[in-house]
Amino acid sequence: MSPTIPTIPIIETHQLTKVFGSNGNAVHALRGIDLTVEQGELVALVGPSGSGKSTLMAILGCLDSPSGGTYALAGRWVHDLSGGELARVRNEKIGFIFQSYNLLPRASVRRNVELPMLYAGLGRRERRRRAEELLEQVGIADKAEALPAQLSGGQRQRVAVARALANRPALLLADEPTGALDSQTGQEVLALFRELHALGNTVLLVTHDPTVAALAERHVEIHDGLVRPPANAEEHEAAPGDEAAA
Amino acid sequence: MSGRGAWAERFGGAWTELRENLPRAVLQTLGVILGVASVVGGFSISDSQRQQANHLFVRLGGLDKLNVLPSEVIDDGSPTALQTANLGLRAADAERGRELDAKLVGGVSEQKLLRARVRSQLADQERQVTGVGGDYLALNGYDVEQGRRFSLRDMETAAPVALVGSEAAADLFPTGEIVGRPLRIGDVPVTVVGVLREKVFRFHDGQHNMFAWRNRLVAVPATLMTRRMQGDAYRRLDRVTFRIPDLDAMLLFSRSLESLLKASHRQQRDFRLDDVAARVKRMMSQGDVYNVVFLLSGILALLGGGMVNVNIQMASLKDRVREVGVKMAIGASGGEIFKGFMTEALLMTVFGTCLGLVAGVVFSKVITVSIGVPLAISVASFGWAAALAGVFGFVFALYPAWKASRLSPMEALRYE
Repeated sequence: MSPTIPTIPIIETHQLTKVFGSNGNAVHALRGIDLTVEQGELVALVGPSGSGKSTLMAILGCLDSPSGGTYALAGRWVHDLSGGELARVRNEKIGFIFQSYNLLPRASVRRNVELPMLYAGLGRRERRRRAEELLEQVGIADKAEALPAQLSGGQRQRVAVARALANRPALLLADEPTGALDSQTGQEVLALFRELHALGNTVLLVTHDPTVAALAERHVEIHDGLVRPPANAEEHEAAPGDEAAA
Repeated sequence: MSGRGAWAERFGGAWTELRENLPRAVLQTLGVILGVASVVGGFSISDSQRQQANHLFVRLGGLDKLNVLPSEVIDDGSPTALQTANLGLRAADAERGRELDAKLVGGVSEQKLLRARVRSQLADQERQVTGVGGDYLALNGYDVEQGRRFSLRDMETAAPVALVGSEAAADLFPTGEIVGRPLRIGDVPVTVVGVLREKVFRFHDGQHNMFAWRNRLVAVPATLMTRRMQGDAYRRLDRVTFRIPDLDAMLLFSRSLESLLKASHRQQRDFRLDDVAARVKRMMSQGDVYNVVFLLSGILALLGGGMVNVNIQMASLKDRVREVGVKMAIGASGGEIFKGFMTEALLMTVFGTCLGLVAGVVFSKVITVSIGVPLAISVASFGWAAALAGVFGFVFALYPAWKASRLSPMEALRYE
């Protein structure tokens, strides 16, 4: 797991805070997150709803800016970037996989996968070649011309994975990736994540599902806007097994 | 995303978006169509009406003709020697005018009028007789139906010949045999050499023939009239008309003609010219009011359409918030979202404009046919309509596009 050569961490945050609202009714969603994710790690971000997990995910995914603290993504400061610059970072460095797939319903599978490359400015031929390669990789090469609605849930999530991989991102950010799937299909998708991890991708799984979290080498538990200390995290790591046994 | 390929992709995306939301796209395009159609239709109908009016003017002997008439110079008391020495308006003036600018002058006609007793074998009437010279017949649009026109020789030699209009022919020769028949005008016997084709002009179908009076013409060479019928030693004319097809040049021509004639009339203003400046001004201003009205109604239609479009677009934005969020999550910048929305608006404006132009032409065709006026399509109206639609399409697309581009990706993704 641990790389022998020191590399730049993919995620490195220091005292990350996020405050919603102002003065009187301010809500402190994050109270100072210190988090480091090394290259090639598969980390599960867990925590109950309301813990600030989603807010942290949004900031780590560059969908939102923190109120304070620093965040370096693959060695680049991103906590103070403008909206346009964040869009560029999302495009080049981050691949999102959502619970509800979030595919464009009116675009073909191929176009969905090509879209991030289009925003990145890749040529038509290059995009097509890469899209075919990716669809091959996730095992749905024959569905390139289908619309998302014509696919099963598992297939849609595979399209989402292919799209997330399009620009060879530094970080794959999966938000409850199996939440909308039955357990059989969920397992298949998880196997795909394991495979991606094995290929050296850095994956951050945001989940509350212990079986999904079990896939990860490391758990980061968020509680009340803070990362729960590792001691507790170890206890938590034991928990999924217990629950599975129960 | 940049470059030409990017625009092709944007158009592709926008096209897909519109096709998949056809009812909405049609509604939005309809606003543009109506606006454009109303501008084009308005302009065309107003232009058709105006052209018809001009047409009438021209055929009545209006716009393109510059008349020179004799005028009284003596205000009161006894005339000066210079005034009495003047010979008035004569054929020589017509010649001088023609030589002034042969390229500009499309024709010169001379006219001399006389009321006389006109007798054929079957009729005896007091009628107006017109002595004609130069290009009178051509300038007034007369064609010969039977027989022949006056020859140059007839004009020069003051030959005793006559031409009759269709109505005059029916009055004087009810039996129908006309050409070659004798006629007495005053005491001068002449021979009818031709009958003129009936002239008809109606502003609308069903109206009375506005040219009926022209068919009452009894014409003889002006030379014959001045030499043998009136006993005017100076052979004066009642009217000289220059045809100047180029209306823009007419004002200048009338000025130089005036100074030329004055010079050859011993500096006496014993003639008067049509007020060309006033006429040109009137012609130019004619219909301008209508154009403004129609332009305004087009603007209002486009304004209304534009507002409806903003509403539809804002309403549809609610359905598309998530989609915008997804696009942003995978790397679309606000600018990209903005361009995408603007591209859709551009496509709708282009389609709307094209359809609107067609609709406008059809619309004005229907109207002009129903009021019995030939359709005149004004190319300028196409330009106006397209320009207006473009401006309004752009301006009204800005707000929804801006609104969409300013969505927070996080909130957009969570939007239900």
